[in-house]
Amino acid sequence: MIALPSTLLLRAIAGGVLAGALCSLVGVFAVRLRMSSIGFCMSHSAFAGAALGVLLALDPLLMAMLAALATAALLGPISEKAKLPANVIAGVMFPMTMALAFIFLMLLPGPVIGLTVLSLLWGSVLTVSPSDVAFLAILLALTTSFIVLFWKELNAVLFDPRLAEADGVNSRAYMNAIIFLLGGVVALSLKLVGGLLVYALVVNSASTALQLSYDMKKIFLLSPFIGMLAFLSGFGLSLWLDLPVGSSIVLTSSIMLATSIALSPKRKRG
Amino acid sequence: MEVVVRLEGVSTTYEGERRPAITDINLLVERGELITIIGPNGAGKTTLLETINGLLPSEGLVEVFGLSVREHGRELRRRIGYVPQDFMVEAGTPFLVKDVVAMGRVGRIGPLRPIREGDWEIIWAVMEELGIADLADRPIGKLSGGQQQKVMIARALAKEPELLLLDEPFSSLDARSRMVVCEILDGLREERGVTVLVVTHDLSAIPEGCERIVLLNEGRITADGAPDQVFASEAFLRAYGPVRAVIA
Repeated sequence: MIALPSTLLLRAIAGGVLAGALCSLVGVFAVRLRMSSIGFCMSHSAFAGAALGVLLALDPLLMAMLAALATAALLGPISEKAKLPANVIAGVMFPMTMALAFIFLMLLPGPVIGLTVLSLLWGSVLTVSPSDVAFLAILLALTTSFIVLFWKELNAVLFDPRLAEADGVNSRAYMNAIIFLLGGVVALSLKLVGGLLVYALVVNSASTALQLSYDMKKIFLLSPFIGMLAFLSGFGLSLWLDLPVGSSIVLTSSIMLATSIALSPKRKRG
Repeated sequence: MEVVVRLEGVSTTYEGERRPAITDINLLVERGELITIIGPNGAGKTTLLETINGLLPSEGLVEVFGLSVREHGRELRRRIGYVPQDFMVEAGTPFLVKDVVAMGRVGRIGPLRPIREGDWEIIWAVMEELGIADLADRPIGKLSGGQQQKVMIARALAKEPELLLLDEPFSSLDARSRMVVCEILDGLREERGVTVLVVTHDLSAIPEGCERIVLLNEGRITADGAPDQVFASEAFLRAYGPVRAVIA
């Protein structure tokens, strides 16, 4: 068991709990609208952005955020122009962003890959700063307000975007807003669980919530708590067994998903 | 009479296609009319309905309630009830029947205003009328095809539409349910002057009370008039062949 200074521990927990809640909330959109590969693409382009930031001596986190948001902005228009689903475009962009990330890393002077980039790749919850926690709290407040204010429209889009459009809802605007939100959440959560693992927190927690109810309102109410629990259990496991935090969170969230599948009321008869 | 739908020289071509799905369509629909659009498979019936609903880009004049669907599409769709063809959801779809029906009111209400008590009264009344109120708390994916079709009809009616566009609305319904829906449509026309356009390829599914039939064949309107007139026309024979026994 690792002993940590209490302020460091509290800050890590605050950041992780906020990121867990956020990832899970936006994860419900991503899973339901089959945007999973879009999220993967964003997390990897954020990693490429961070690598470019290190190469150009710019703030890696800021560059990661810009790269994730740029991906969010590009995906929709490219998908419309190419007449291909956004998931397919994301599938093409995903290896491309990884290739760019590795090129940027190769161009770094000296034999050692920047520690900052590695921490963004694997996550470093103990380096979370008070401003990171504040940003996460602001984004959680914005996300919650967005969901509450536009609940009925989002609910209709989540059921079927084309049918929502036929009912007079601007489905495309809501879909774009969701992609941007996803980009922001992925970029801000990168520091905690890392670019390679952040999306597991998004998909696993939301998928767990989706296993537990048929009622979308209940799913949205449950999902942030599942995300928080995934973080806390993973963080506790990493402290207890001295394992990497990001990997531990992915493991616990995967176990939670497996358990929810086994116990899901959706698999009970009657 | 008030014209609700006006189409003049309308052609709709799907992207990547050279041949239009519907060509040079001219159609006037008056308030309170119940029109059945018939035609064999691939005649362009669904394309015509989606063009009127502003969901497909088209050439020519398409006006609903005197407004161009090109410029006012979303605003108009808030007044139009639409039931898509063969809409079925997966078994695990996480939405309850009452919430899906309530979605019908979303466009009508507009953003930033929640669904209130008065809206729920309308939603429950529609579900009662269609006999699905007892299914309200069930997941939609657990229902049969016919029950899901009733949910989609209820969703369109919950909007309190001024124009109803129904694409093969009876395809999964039994005879009794068809009768119930037809009675509801008659009531809406008589009490509120709602205009109804029903698309069907199945001639036995033409709703009772239908006084006008539009026949589409190969993307063109080839007959338009009273049912007897259309069924007796050469165009009908060309489109369907000798099937008079079915409609007798």
